[in-house]
Amino acid sequence: MGIVLEAKAINKYFHDPITAQVLKDITFSISKGEFVSVVGKSGCGKSTLLYILSTMDTDFDGNLFIDRELTNKKSEKELAHLRNEKIGFVFQFHYLLNEFTVLKNVMLPGLKLNKYKEDEVAHRAMDRLQMLGIQHLATKKANQLSGGEKQRVAIARALINDPLIIMGDEPTGNLDKKNSQIVFDIFMQMAEEYKQKPLIGMSSEYLLRKIRTLRT
Amino acid sequence: MNYGLIYRIALSLLLARWKQTLVAAIGVTFSITMFIALLGFMNGLNDLLDGLIVNRTPHIRLFNEIKVNQNQPINSTEQFASSYNFIRSVRPVGNRQGIYNSYAILKAVQKDDRVSGVAPKANVQVFFSAGATDITGVINGIEVAVESRLFHFNDYVTHGNPLDIEALSNSIILGKGMADKLMAQMNDVIEVVNPQGEQFSLKVVGIFQSGIQEFDKTQCYASLKTVQKILSKGTSYFTDIQIKLKNIDTAPMVAKEYAQIFQVDSEDIQTANSQFETGSFVRSLISYAVGITLLIVAGFGIYNILNMMIYEKMDSIAILKAIGFSGADVNLIFILIALSIGIAGGLVGLLFGFLLSAGIDQIPFRTASLPTVKTYPVNYNVAFYLIGISFSLITTYLAGLFPARKASKVDPVIIIRGK
Repeated sequence: MGIVLEAKAINKYFHDPITAQVLKDITFSISKGEFVSVVGKSGCGKSTLLYILSTMDTDFDGNLFIDRELTNKKSEKELAHLRNEKIGFVFQFHYLLNEFTVLKNVMLPGLKLNKYKEDEVAHRAMDRLQMLGIQHLATKKANQLSGGEKQRVAIARALINDPLIIMGDEPTGNLDKKNSQIVFDIFMQMAEEYKQKPLIGMSSEYLLRKIRTLRT
Repeated sequence: MNYGLIYRIALSLLLARWKQTLVAAIGVTFSITMFIALLGFMNGLNDLLDGLIVNRTPHIRLFNEIKVNQNQPINSTEQFASSYNFIRSVRPVGNRQGIYNSYAILKAVQKDDRVSGVAPKANVQVFFSAGATDITGVINGIEVAVESRLFHFNDYVTHGNPLDIEALSNSIILGKGMADKLMAQMNDVIEVVNPQGEQFSLKVVGIFQSGIQEFDKTQCYASLKTVQKILSKGTSYFTDIQIKLKNIDTAPMVAKEYAQIFQVDSEDIQTANSQFETGSFVRSLISYAVGITLLIVAGFGIYNILNMMIYEKMDSIAILKAIGFSGADVNLIFILIALSIGIAGGLVGLLFGFLLSAGIDQIPFRTASLPTVKTYPVNYNVAFYLIGISFSLITTYLAGLFPARKASKVDPVIIIRGK
């Protein structure tokens, strides 16, 4: 199995109000198809680690390799492209653009990647929505959806570019039990269906019992 | 980079806050409207005031000035050749007002292709007899057709037909002020006395009003032939040759050239009327300053609205960055928003500016001194419209620059962590 994400001796400090070390010598690697949960107490640095792994936070010591490429030296623009192409992100809060329809929201990263033509991207977006059972919502505006539906749209958006890695930052954190179960099932189903492809890093207590656990 | 996508995102952000956008655009529209109307009106007035003098003034005037001869006998004596000679109270001798070789000069100037028209003129100082008193005045002998074509003479003749002075011999067009002083009506016959004391009877066939009262009190017009007759001179006697050039800016240069070639005195319009150019320049400057001030105020409005939009759309900016839009993309989105406001507001402003100008153009404006002007003057120069739209683009771009930079620097981690 190819290694898609590798962290070497990652240290992270917060300087405000006093310098405090949050992450200490984090070293691990994740291969294709692995389903990894990051578990820990509230405030122990799960999210912080995830932001570093997702390349959004570049203020850290150590080396981060994504798809065998060192990310530290890359420019802001290159990192943006890398996130666009290789990482799908699902946050605790859905972060949909209310000005766009559900379909457009899902298409957005695909249009940004500009690898397929627009109608092709729309077709792929519909596939993702169908897979998540929300294809009937495609033409609605994002703010007309319920919380669970929004989170599923966010998952569809994370999948649009067939990313190497899907990261979830407590994706069920804002949802009630029923919706949490739906979202969780989707992740489980994806892990099975896309055996070769995505890796799901999650920092949720809820996924404690899953295959491999990283403790921070 | 995928510009179509960036543009669509910018547009949807714009439309999501269409009321704010509208207010910002109205700010730009208002300032461009005022800018166009103000400049059009100011320049219309400038043209009008310039027209009072400049349209009626030849670009170059060739004449023979009465002056002292530079070659005094003492200068040709060898005895005093090396000394500096002071001569007091020298008088001009043997000088005449008529231009030497005038007919040949007229022909030569007409052939020059820098020249758009030439009008010969003969002036004579006369006394108008008004009962027991005499009033001094000047009769300008002109060729009516040429004078009208080059200097809009016919525009200022308020009564009668200017061509009548050519058709009827011994006829005259009086200035309004002169006609009032003489109590002369149309078709009256008035008496004039030339410098030699000879008396002539002239029929009043018209009254003209130039807009400059002092001028109308002394100046009268007759045909060239009538004036030559009053002076008992031949048909080639001219006191002035008035030249209109194709390019007014070359007047000083051409004036010097003619003075040298034809051995006459010359005067160009820039030297003769420099104060008018200064006035026009200052008026234009003021209108530009006011217009730009309005635009800068509108620019601050756009700056504010964009800043608010960025705070409001912080989440959207964060997620755009998380899913792969770079800082440059976000920057471009907000610049595009600002420019769209500038273009839309600016174009509507141009239209309203044009309509407002057209409205001003309809307001009655009657003044005794300007017989040809019926409504307020407006200049519809395309350059103002180009300047207006360029300014609106530049100010909105500058107004968008800082908010866009701020948006591009938004750190998605801080926003996402904050939720």
